[in-house]
Amino acid sequence: MLKILIPTLMLIPTTWLTPKSWVWTTTTAQSLAIALLSLTWLKWTSETGWSTSGPYMATDPLSTPLLVLTCWLLPLMILASQNHISPEPINRQRSYITLLILLQTFLIMAFGATEIIMFYIMFEATLIPTLIIITRWGNQTERLNAGTYFLFYTLAGSLPLLVALLMTQKDMGTLSMLIIQHTKPTNLLSWGDKIWWVGCLLAFLVKMPLYGVHLWLPKAHVEAPIAGSMVLAAVLLKLGGYGMMRITIMLDPLTKELAYPFIILALWGIIMTGSICLRQTDLKSLIAYSSVSHMGLVAGGILIQTPWGFTGAIILMIAHGLVSSALFCLANTNYERTHSRTLLLTRGLQMILPLMATWWFIANLANLALPPLPNLMGELAIITSLFSWSPWTIVSTGLGTLITAGYSLYMFLMTQRGPTPLHTISLHPSHTREHLLMAMHLIPVLLLVLKPELMWGVCH
Amino acid sequence: WILAWMGLEINTMAIIPLMAQQHHPRATEATTKYFLTQATAAAMILFASTMNAWTMGDWNINQISHPLATTTVTLALALKIGLAPMHFWLPEVLQGLNLTTGLVLSTWQKLAPFALILQISQNTNPALLTTLGVTSALVGGWGGLNQTQLRKLLAYSSIAHLGWMIIILQFMPALTLLNLTIYITMTSTMFLSLKIMASTKINSLALAWPKTPTLTTLIMLSLLSLGGLPPLTGFMPKWLILQELAKQDLPITATIMAMSALLSLFFYLR
Repeated sequence: MLKILIPTLMLIPTTWLTPKSWVWTTTTAQSLAIALLSLTWLKWTSETGWSTSGPYMATDPLSTPLLVLTCWLLPLMILASQNHISPEPINRQRSYITLLILLQTFLIMAFGATEIIMFYIMFEATLIPTLIIITRWGNQTERLNAGTYFLFYTLAGSLPLLVALLMTQKDMGTLSMLIIQHTKPTNLLSWGDKIWWVGCLLAFLVKMPLYGVHLWLPKAHVEAPIAGSMVLAAVLLKLGGYGMMRITIMLDPLTKELAYPFIILALWGIIMTGSICLRQTDLKSLIAYSSVSHMGLVAGGILIQTPWGFTGAIILMIAHGLVSSALFCLANTNYERTHSRTLLLTRGLQMILPLMATWWFIANLANLALPPLPNLMGELAIITSLFSWSPWTIVSTGLGTLITAGYSLYMFLMTQRGPTPLHTISLHPSHTREHLLMAMHLIPVLLLVLKPELMWGVCH
Repeated sequence: WILAWMGLEINTMAIIPLMAQQHHPRATEATTKYFLTQATAAAMILFASTMNAWTMGDWNINQISHPLATTTVTLALALKIGLAPMHFWLPEVLQGLNLTTGLVLSTWQKLAPFALILQISQNTNPALLTTLGVTSALVGGWGGLNQTQLRKLLAYSSIAHLGWMIIILQFMPALTLLNLTIYITMTSTMFLSLKIMASTKINSLALAWPKTPTLTTLIMLSLLSLGGLPPLTGFMPKWLILQELAKQDLPITATIMAMSALLSLFFYLR
């Protein structure tokens, strides 16, 4: 674990000491090297499932895919930000990169934590750099409001979590994940215990986000700069899912009855947010709502607590992380050229930017869960496990899949096909950097088709 | 108790001229208000200790055991430091002072009453302390929401922090001291940085970015720390206090305190 943490922290002196013209190159190269190093975590040889352990951090098949995803995204974030930051003075560019690196460090420590309290502290700590990125480098004036919504929704959910965790520590004597998975099931009977259960889960449900408390997500995504959107969509939402998976180990057997309202909210949210996507005019907002929809499916998969549900949840989280981030990058390429996110203004791009149209095509196909891509693997696992839990869920999940296909194709057709408006003829051609960015997003998705065992190590 | 009372009175007397240095009418008004409240509190302390001596025959500070006497002296000390519901003087007084004197008022003046509070904490009514604490945290949060003047904002933040300190007093006084120390450090940082930038309203803070970016970053970090966000140091006392409360099986109190921290965070964030 230290092999990865220390180079990531050392990236901060790198950004501040390299000469001006080499900053972006060196940071991208170094973070790429770290990402490749993180791939070594994917080899699980230990008996108990936890490997590379230190006193407070370890990796196991649940956290490793998310860790690799996080490390992989840092070079991509730096690549994506290069263009829109370049007019700013060099020290501000350096502080932007430093914020990204700090966020990365907190995320690595969060996913690698073995004590739940450490996970909590890192969970909260990721909020601060994200907040600063959104409010300082966002594009519209509404970003202040978006930052406030973001911070307060998440904090209001996570403070009860802190109290619940402290109570757990008092009862069980420890909060180490290694030990908790072996303790006997707790007897949860009274109303107070039910409130404790809600307290444990609420923070993660807000972060996921669950349909009822998802308002912060579209605001935050739309207002954030590209790197902020990428990291939000790809990794921060997965923090919520990961936390839920860890916490539900100790929440049985109460979860069977208490999870009903949340599962129903999640399923209903899939349909509702999917339908909103069909009527959106703002491209980033469309992708944000599609994120809510996919994460609703993940939440449903986790809350029913079956092995296939968990597996599907992890696969969908990883695949959605990569694809959603890719879509945000594509939307950003449009934004950098026209400075507008309205769908109507960026139509018919296939005529002008044909290679970018290929990436749009692949990303949208992945979003709508085309076989054999891992998005479909995840969705199928979750849908089948939900079906075996209750046959009626097929109504909402099936309808959800249809609507997802609908708005993904809508997004593709609106941006690529159709008559090209006259004002877009003089747009800049695509940079190689942008193509590299999209390739690095989508090639792992394609590769994961060949070896999905990397993702679902937990339950097999 | 007589010596304690004399010490408190001398303290009040000494700071009155410091506060009245500026010959601004608001400063004079603030000084008068401060003098009145502190004198009332000191008189109540004297009264309570006399009552205790009359009924129990004891002048020793930690032996104060008559319930009426302990309640009175706790309330009097709460008035001295500005705990709700006896907090009404604090925002206006702080507003009337310049930043340095305000710094002294918020930090140094709290030390003496706290020393007394710590010594009598064994015998005080737990319900009273909890009520004082929770009310202070809530009032500090809600009161600060509508403020634009920085000194009043810091006054309400002081009320909220004192509430946190009081609530853990009955369980682990060491945590009260820890919270007090960290609070003094953070508030001193805030006051000194505001003094360097010579800004007293939120609007003037907004112009600070071009002038001193480093200082602005520092202010932002220390504000977030005052709000109690991990991983900054400000989180540590809140965390430990919540842990103690949870250990004592008081989850509801803990949750209320945590939520009121959110209120304070909102006005720090602006």
